[in-house]
Amino acid sequence: MSAHLESELPAALRGQWSYEPRYANVNGWRMHYIDEGKGDPVVLLHGNPTWGFLYRKMIPLLVGSGRRVVVPDMIGFGLSEKPTREDAHSLDGHTANLTALMRGLDLTRIALVCHDWGGPTGLSFAMSNSARVRALTIMSTWAWPLPPAEFHTRIFPWRMMHAPLVGPYLLGNHRALAGRGVYLSVVDREQFARTAQYAYEAVLPDPASRLLTWVWPRWIPLDENARAYERFKWLEQELSRSKLPALIVWGREDEVFDAATFSERFKQMLPHAEGPHLVTGRHFLQEDSGTEIAALIDSFLRRLDANEGKQ
Amino acid sequence: MTEVTLVATPSLEGKRLAFALAEDRVAHYPEFRDFFVRTFDLDRKGLTEPGFVRTSSGNLYAFIFIGRSGAPFPSGLEIYGVVDALEPVDGAVLDRDLWSILRWVIGGVGAPWTVEDFDRTGRLYRLPAASAA
Repeated sequence: MSAHLESELPAALRGQWSYEPRYANVNGWRMHYIDEGKGDPVVLLHGNPTWGFLYRKMIPLLVGSGRRVVVPDMIGFGLSEKPTREDAHSLDGHTANLTALMRGLDLTRIALVCHDWGGPTGLSFAMSNSARVRALTIMSTWAWPLPPAEFHTRIFPWRMMHAPLVGPYLLGNHRALAGRGVYLSVVDREQFARTAQYAYEAVLPDPASRLLTWVWPRWIPLDENARAYERFKWLEQELSRSKLPALIVWGREDEVFDAATFSERFKQMLPHAEGPHLVTGRHFLQEDSGTEIAALIDSFLRRLDANEGKQ
Repeated sequence: MTEVTLVATPSLEGKRLAFALAEDRVAHYPEFRDFFVRTFDLDRKGLTEPGFVRTSSGNLYAFIFIGRSGAPFPSGLEIYGVVDALEPVDGAVLDRDLWSILRWVIGGVGAPWTVEDFDRTGRLYRLPAASAA
C-alpha cells in the first residue's frame, strides 16, 4: 500500500479496502483507480460524494466470476486529486477524465456500471466511445435535460444546500453531503454509520477537499439556460438511439431518483434493457444491496456471454 | 434584532484579514449576486473597496468581491474575519458568525428564498448553529 493511501485511508477501513492503489494522469489530473482480476472489464462508476468504496461489496464477486474490475475515483473525490477551484470541474471535463483513463488502459468490451454522476459522465463516455463499450448497467441516475426530480427543484433542502455561500458553508465546512447526506440516503442507517460512513468522510477531510460536493449539484439543469442543458439533450438523443445491451437496477426506497419515474424513463429510452430490477436501497443502493446487484450484473453478463457464443 | 449590520470601512491597523469562506460562483442563482450589488453599492464601487459587516458577536467581517473576465461583477466573493493580527480565530464563534451572515444574506435575497428554509436545512444536517434557530 502506498504512503499516500496510508495517509488518506483510516486504518480501521483498510480491511474493507485492501486493493492495490493505482494512479493515472488523466486530462491533466491525478486519478486513483483499482484494477483487479482478469477478463472482460467491468468499470464501476460512482457519483457525488462517494468513491470506489461504494462498490466494495460488489468487487470481490465480480472478480470471482472471471471479470476484470476497474474502479476509478472521480477527480475531486476519493483518493484522486481534488482541485480547489470550482471552474476546474465541468460535466464535459469529467467525461474527458474518464475517457482518458479508459483509453489509457486501452479497455474494450467494457461493461459500464453507472450511478449518480457516474451516469451522465459514464453514459456520455459510452455514447462517444461506443466501440469500447459492450454493455450498460444504470442505477439511480438520469440522462435527460429536463426536468430533474421534483426534489431538485425545491429550495428546501436541495437548492438551499448548494446556494451561493451556503454550499461552501454547509457542504464544505460542515460536510453535510459526505456525512449526513449519505447517511440519510441508505436504508440500514445503523449499519452504515457503524461500518461505512467514516470511509466517505475520511477521504474528504477538509472544507476545500469537499468542493465537488456542492459543485455537482450546480450542474443539474433546472432550465433551458443551464450550462449542461445541451449536453444532456445530446445524451438523451444518443442514448435513445443506442442498442447497447443494458441492465436497469434501482433502489426500491430511492426518494431522490424515485424508481417509478426514473427507472421507467430509462426503460422507455432503452426498451431492450433488462429490468428495472428493484432492490432494497435508497439513492446509495450499493450500500444496502451490493451483493444482490453484483449477482444481477454477473447474471446479465453471463447471458450476454452465452448469446455472443451462439453467434 | 438585526444580527448583521453594514459598517463603514474600519481601520485595519493592527488587524489581519482571516479567511472564513469563499464562493466562486456567486451568481449561480443570480438573485444572490443582485443582493450583493444592491447591498454593497457595487455598481458604483466596483473593486475599489471591500464591504464590511458586523455580527451580533461584535466581530467584523470583510466581503471581498471577485471579478472574472466575461462574467457579470461580482463573479465570486470571499469573506474574511477582521481580527487582531497575531491572534487565532475562535472556530466556534466564527461558525456562529457565518451562520448569522448567511441568514442575513438569505433574508436579503428574499422570496422564494427564506430564512425559515435556511434554518430547516441547517437543522436537517444538524449544524450546531442551527440548533438555536
